[in-house]
Amino acid sequence: MKQATPEMPALARRLINGETAALARAISVVERDTPQAIEILRAIRPHLGQAIVVGFTGPPGAGKSTLVNAYVAELRRRGKTVGIVAVDPSSPITGGAVLGDRIRMAEHTLDEGVFIRSLASRGALGGLSASAAQVADLMDAADRDVVILETVGTGQSEVEMATIADVRVVIAAPGLGDDVQAIKAGILEIADVLVVNKADQPLASQTRRQLNAMLGLRATAEHPVPVLSTDAINRVGVADLADAVTVVADRRDRQTDRSALAGRTRHLLAQAVSKAAEAHVMNSRSEKVEDILHAVQDARLGLTDAAKQILGGILGYNANEQ
Amino acid sequence: MTLDTVIPARVLVTKIGLDGHDRGSRIVAAYLRDAGMEVIYTDPWQKLEAVVALALQEDVDVIGISSLATDHLLVPKLMKALDEAGLGHIRVIVGGIVPAEEEADLLKAGVSRVFHPGSGREEIVEAVAKLAVDAADDRTDD
Amino acid sequence: MNKIDAKVHSGGSDRETAARDWKSGYQAQVREGKTVRNRSGLEIQPLYWPDEEVDATYDAKLGFPGSGPMTRGIYPSMHRGRTWTQRQLIGLGRPEDFNGRIKKILKSGASALSIIPCNSVYRGVDANEVEPELLGTCGTVINTVQDMDISLADIPIGDISIGLNDPNPFTMLAQLLIVAEQRGVPWSKITGTSNQSDYISHFVANHMFYRLSLTGARRVQLDAIEWLAENVPNWNPLSVVGQHMQQAGATPAQAMGLTLSSAIQYAEDCMARGLEPNKFLERFTFFFDISISFFEEVAKFRAGRRIWARLVEERFGVSNLRAKRFKFHAQTSGVDLTRQQPLNNISRVAVQAMAGILGGLQSLHTDGYDEVFTTPTEGPAKVAIATQNILKHEAGLCDVIDPLGGSYYVETLTDQMEAEILRVIAEIDEQGGMFKAVENGFVQKAIGESALGFQEAVDTGEQIVVGVNAYQEEEEETVLPAIDRPDPDWMQGQIDRLAAYKANRDQGGVTTALSDMRTAARSESENTFAAIVVATRAGATQGEIIAVLRDELGFGRPLVVA
Repeated sequence: MKQATPEMPALARRLINGETAALARAISVVERDTPQAIEILRAIRPHLGQAIVVGFTGPPGAGKSTLVNAYVAELRRRGKTVGIVAVDPSSPITGGAVLGDRIRMAEHTLDEGVFIRSLASRGALGGLSASAAQVADLMDAADRDVVILETVGTGQSEVEMATIADVRVVIAAPGLGDDVQAIKAGILEIADVLVVNKADQPLASQTRRQLNAMLGLRATAEHPVPVLSTDAINRVGVADLADAVTVVADRRDRQTDRSALAGRTRHLLAQAVSKAAEAHVMNSRSEKVEDILHAVQDARLGLTDAAKQILGGILGYNANEQ
Repeated sequence: MTLDTVIPARVLVTKIGLDGHDRGSRIVAAYLRDAGMEVIYTDPWQKLEAVVALALQEDVDVIGISSLATDHLLVPKLMKALDEAGLGHIRVIVGGIVPAEEEADLLKAGVSRVFHPGSGREEIVEAVAKLAVDAADDRTDD
Repeated sequence: MNKIDAKVHSGGSDRETAARDWKSGYQAQVREGKTVRNRSGLEIQPLYWPDEEVDATYDAKLGFPGSGPMTRGIYPSMHRGRTWTQRQLIGLGRPEDFNGRIKKILKSGASALSIIPCNSVYRGVDANEVEPELLGTCGTVINTVQDMDISLADIPIGDISIGLNDPNPFTMLAQLLIVAEQRGVPWSKITGTSNQSDYISHFVANHMFYRLSLTGARRVQLDAIEWLAENVPNWNPLSVVGQHMQQAGATPAQAMGLTLSSAIQYAEDCMARGLEPNKFLERFTFFFDISISFFEEVAKFRAGRRIWARLVEERFGVSNLRAKRFKFHAQTSGVDLTRQQPLNNISRVAVQAMAGILGGLQSLHTDGYDEVFTTPTEGPAKVAIATQNILKHEAGLCDVIDPLGGSYYVETLTDQMEAEILRVIAEIDEQGGMFKAVENGFVQKAIGESALGFQEAVDTGEQIVVGVNAYQEEEEETVLPAIDRPDPDWMQGQIDRLAAYKANRDQGGVTTALSDMRTAARSESENTFAAIVVATRAGATQGEIIAVLRDELGFGRPLVVA
């Protein structure tokens, strides 16, 4: 049993004690990035590292949500509690979003051992919400054995997912023309487990062969990446998937990969800086920014140099000294 | 200058009971999305306990229930269940075909607004935005 | 313009031969050749058509009703011979409540009956598995053969056409067949239609009726079509539905195109089973929505009829005339009705009904003006039937076949709608057929876009809706009938009746029949519908039957998110 210290924020204490409402609320607070958020994140630090964070990604139509749903059922059968962060894209114009991923996971709605939270990507390029990593931490602290990150399969989310998840599952479906192409474009590099879902469909074995061939080219891999077949709708191959995830997770634990954690923080920091810089340029009407803007407009200053000058202005150091 | 993230209103758009006509709920979901809100959208036929669980996990400000048949008759029960789950701050609206005398019952049970066929985009969006603010003000836990 | 007697007697041209053929078909259907006159005393012919020198394209594009392109109608006499069937959908409360009401409605002029079950039945659950507040509020609670028997007490079921709103796996039809058996009515005398049998439409646009998964429903559908052709030969096992799609927001042309694509899918599935299209297509029927866009609706029906007649010949090699007939039921659109100034809805329904009648429908349901407020109550339902009677007897809409045929506007519009409908069909073909296009969400997405488009037109005022975005009134004086909710005590009685029914049946027989049905569903070769009839006869409830089938064939759920 985890001990909550008396001076920590009430919400964090309730969260650590496993109160569902507190977890739900804490996620909102962290998403708002208020001063309270940092207190909560600090308070939960000693309680992190218990959960396995599993990332699921793949192109649209591969059956991600259905596979996650089946995987969750398997985890529940094994007695594990689960937290799910389901990420859907926000409209780049209005910022609004329809979050419907959990429809495919409706069978778990009334199961207290499963907590699902839908997040909007809110303009994060890679398809992961900026705060997804922190939300995963909150679920970890709230005693979830497995935290699942389900991300928009744009083919761009791989980097971010790689920094957050302990185990990366990449899903492909047979018969989608661009599918293998999308995987080639980079997801393959980050996959710990590859899954060909909809294995009952005719082109499944061909897709598997293609993936295996591509993996063969990646000679540097320390550990061979398993290529599994699932039929999520009929729950075929899901136990094998759960086993494969566990194998990778155990390996990670043994390595206790500190540098990965630092890498993740660095990545999050970079993201936050670019967001802050963007807000500064968009909203600031300071003379300095206006001068630089006009210089760029008149082609007196290149974009890269302009950015360096602005960063120098914000951060108070010479951005040329790197 | 503020760097704080402005979080859009979160709204659960759903249907309870037995009917499955979802044209209305889909259109309303699209309206709210286009107004910059985050809409959690579900299948029809949600059990009341499921609506409570969804509202809790997703930490929504407003719940919109679409009722084209008679499913609104269950809404008073839902209001009670939300209250019991400590979600009394969440504002509930009902849209669809609701006879006037039953509308009065719903309002008495704590429903904030009942929308009828013919309610326009602006009217709905404006009301939901305002109710979301009210709900946030009423929160007791932060 | 031609008149029937003037030119038909002799002659050599093709037009005249065709006219003669039509006339003999007409006379076979309309025995007493009573002269019809208008109020000015002028004689009204049943059909008017152009001389050959005036319009040479007539035979290929329009032709005479009952044959050829079928644009003008599927029977030689159309409404001048036999008017459309007045079919009002009702369903309320307990079986005995339905029975009382249907008897009244039959007395007031309805010529066929339809049963709407309670939404709990649509969901495939029995009375004891539902929030009691909702029981019987939208339709009749029919869970067992006993419930069906009470619903149809004193109704001569062998002599009246029965529409069952009975989605796959057709448990109500099984109940009806057992009631017939118990009453000694041979199955060959049972006529009517399995409405809501078009499972594809449920996955497209109406998430209310489906009870099994897409693939499971496909299996049972074909089993039922095959079994019924053998055992209940005068029953229409399939009604292909465009209504849901249009109600969900599809444009009229889109709805027609998608419906025809569904029908193509069903026909191809039947043929893959080895069934003969010249036979099974005789029993295909259609069901459409009629919006208030008057001429567009008329043109939609005319174009759809023409496409179907040509399409079944070209695609399936059908030569049998009866298999080319595009028989359809239509319902006035509830989406067009408004809550504001509700009596205006009576006018809307009348205009919608006219569009359907002039479009050549075979069967019509008119909405009650209170449909936007509640499930239809008795008073407004009577007005709805009277509307049909007024159009039929006072307005003279039945005097002439396809009276809008030959109008420059209507013919041009029919051609344009035809092109648009064909474009939709081609689009679906490109997706690999309707089943696939629904499975991958293509159709749902297209309809969603149309729905939003229409709503925007209303929001911006581009589409005027009287009382909603124009001609509003400050204080609305509306007299509405009191809402009709079933008595909670009665509903408790229905739950008790179900319990008593289950207590009194041979439980061993039920268990065996359900287990046999499970085996049938698992096997590739056995007929599931035959097993459903056996289980119903043994006393299984619809909830029990559907639970087993869901277990084996999958549960129906929406396929696409907003």
